[in-house]
Amino acid sequence: MPYDASDSVVQLLDVSKEFMRDKIRIPVLTNTTLHIPKGDFAAIMGPSGSGKSTLLNLAAGLDRPTTGRVIVNGQDLGVLSEAGLSRFRSENLGFIFQMYNLMPVLTAFENVELPLLLAPLNRAQRRQHVEAALRIVSLADRQDHYPRQLSGGQEQRVAIARAIANDPVLLLADEPTGNLDATSAQEVLDLLELLNTQFGTTIIMVTHDPKAARRAKRLLHLEKGTFVQADIEALETSR
Amino acid sequence: MIPIKYNLRSLWARKVGSLMTIASTGIAVGASVFALGLSAGLDQTLEVSAGPLDIIVLRQGSSSETASGVSEAVAREILALPGIATDQQGRPLAAPELVVVTYLPRRGNAGSANVTIRGALPVSRDLREGMKVVEGRDFQPGLREAIVSRKLAGRFEGLGMNEEFVVQDKSFKVVGLFEAGGGATESEIWTDQKVLAQVANRTGGTSSVQIRAASKAAQETLLNHIKADEQIALKAITEVQYFADQAQAGLVLRLLGQIIAFFLTIGAMFAVANTMYGAIATRAREIGTLRSLGFGRGSILTAFLLESLVLCLVGAIVGCLASIALTKLFGGQSAGTMNGVTFTEIVFAFSFGPNVLMKGALLAVFLGVVGGFLPALRAVRMKVVDALREV
Repeated sequence: MPYDASDSVVQLLDVSKEFMRDKIRIPVLTNTTLHIPKGDFAAIMGPSGSGKSTLLNLAAGLDRPTTGRVIVNGQDLGVLSEAGLSRFRSENLGFIFQMYNLMPVLTAFENVELPLLLAPLNRAQRRQHVEAALRIVSLADRQDHYPRQLSGGQEQRVAIARAIANDPVLLLADEPTGNLDATSAQEVLDLLELLNTQFGTTIIMVTHDPKAARRAKRLLHLEKGTFVQADIEALETSR
Repeated sequence: MIPIKYNLRSLWARKVGSLMTIASTGIAVGASVFALGLSAGLDQTLEVSAGPLDIIVLRQGSSSETASGVSEAVAREILALPGIATDQQGRPLAAPELVVVTYLPRRGNAGSANVTIRGALPVSRDLREGMKVVEGRDFQPGLREAIVSRKLAGRFEGLGMNEEFVVQDKSFKVVGLFEAGGGATESEIWTDQKVLAQVANRTGGTSSVQIRAASKAAQETLLNHIKADEQIALKAITEVQYFADQAQAGLVLRLLGQIIAFFLTIGAMFAVANTMYGAIATRAREIGTLRSLGFGRGSILTAFLLESLVLCLVGAIVGCLASIALTKLFGGQSAGTMNGVTFTEIVFAFSFGPNVLMKGALLAVFLGVVGGFLPALRAVRMKVVDALREV
C-alpha cells in the first residue's frame, strides 16, 4: 500500500547495509524501501539474520546504511554528525530492549529520569514527566525500587516508562516480550497498544513472537534483507 | 550529563575491585606524601635554622663546623669587626663556638650514631631565636652539665632528663631539655664552651664564629672583609647559604623514598586502568544504552574519567591519612637521618603541610586521569550496536 511520504515518521529509501566479516562482504539489507506513517504500529518479523535489528538500528541512527537514505521525522540522518545523532535520539526516539537495559544501580525513578536529563527541563518538570510515565505503566508505587527488586515484567514496564518519558515521536522496540512470561508479555503489549491508540505514538517493534506481532496494526516480514508480502490476517490463519 | 550517582553507585556495586584500587592508589599516594613530607621536613629544619642576617665563619676549605677550626686570637679579631649587631648592653652578637662530635648509642638497641655537642657562650643563645629550655634548667658555666634538644633526648641513651652521657671518658649530666623551633639546633647537645674545650682537648680555639650583622649592607661588608683577609685564611658565608649546602642531608633517604613512590605510582596506574577496563567491559550494555538514549561521547568520557578520579581521590585521602597516622604512630613525627655533610645525626619532623598534601592530591588526579583515560576512551569508541549486544 503506497503511503504519502510527507506523512511518514520513518522513511528508508533504497537502503542497503553490508557488514564485513574477515574481509567477506555480508549483505544484510538489500535496496530496502520502507515508509512508516505517523501513528503506525508496525511489527517486523523474520528469521534470525534477516536484518530486523539492523533495520531498527538504522532507523534509530545507531548505525549508518552502506547506501540509501534514512529519514526520521523529516530529518535525513545521513547528514548528522555523531553528536547530532545523539541529540536527535534524545529528542525524538524512545527505545525498548529485549533485556530491558535498565541501569542496575539506579532506581525506577532515576532510570526513567535519565533521558530527561538531556532535555531543557528543571528538576520539578522532570519529576512531573517521570511520575506521569510511571503512572502510565502502573508502577508509580515502585519508583524507589531498584531493578533487582522488580520482576521481569515490571522491569520492562519501567523501560517503557523511560522510553516514553520524553514524549518521543517514534518508539523502537527490539523483542520487547522476548524475555518475558506470557502474562508479563501481555501487559507489555497492552501498554504498547495503549500508547499507540491513546497517545498516537508511532511504534516499530521487532519480534519473533506471532502473538506480539498480531497486536500491531501492520506486519512486515523480512527475509534475507528484503521485505516479503505479509499481513496480520495471514498470521492469524497460520496459527 | 550522566548523573554522578550512577558512577558512585557503580563503584559501590563493585566493592572489592573498587577497594583494591583505592588501596593501591592509597599506597602510592601515601608513599609519595611520606617521601615529600620527609623532604619538606628536612628542608624546613634547615631553613628555620638560618637567620637572615647571620654569618658563619669557618676555616677555609671546610664545609661544616665539625671540620673547621678558628684560633682564639683570630676569633677575637673577628668579634672586633665593625658592622656586628649588638645586644641591649652593647655587647656584640657574635660567638666563637666549639663543635665536637660524640658517638652515642640509640635507644632501643638501634645502633649508635654521631651526635653534635656545641660548646656555647651565653650570647650563643641570643643568636638562636626561638631556643628555650622547656624542662629543667640551663647548664651552669664551669660544670659538666648539658642541655639537650627534647627530640634528641628521646632518641639516644643518656640524653634524657637527669641522665648522663660520656664525652672522652668524662660524663656530662643532662640538666635541661630545650626546643628551638624545629631547626637544626634541635639535633644538638649544648654545654659550656670552656668545659667542652677542656674535655675534648680543644683549648685555644673554636670551630666557628657565629655573627649577626647589624644590617644587610653590614652583612655584605663583613662577608667581603673576612674573605679578603688572606692572613686569617677563613671563609665567611651567610647562614642561609650554610644550611642550603647542608640540604644534601638525607639525600639517600630522599632518593630512596622518591624511587619507591615512583614505582608504586606506576603500579597504581595499572591498577586504576585495570579496574576501569573491567568496569567498562562489564558495563558495555549500559554504555550502549546510555548512548542510545542520547548521551554523547563527551558525557561517557567525562562520566568514566570522573569515576576513575573518585577512586583515586578516595585512595589519596586514605593514603594521606594513613601516612600521617603511621608517622605519628612510629616516632611521634620525629625522625632522624645522617647529615651527609657532617656525618652527624640530624633530627627533623615530617612536614605534611598544605603543599605536600596538595602534591598528593595532584598525584591522585594524575593517576585518575592517566589510569582512567584509555579505558574511558574505549567506552567512548564502542560501537553502540555492538555494546548493546553485550551480555
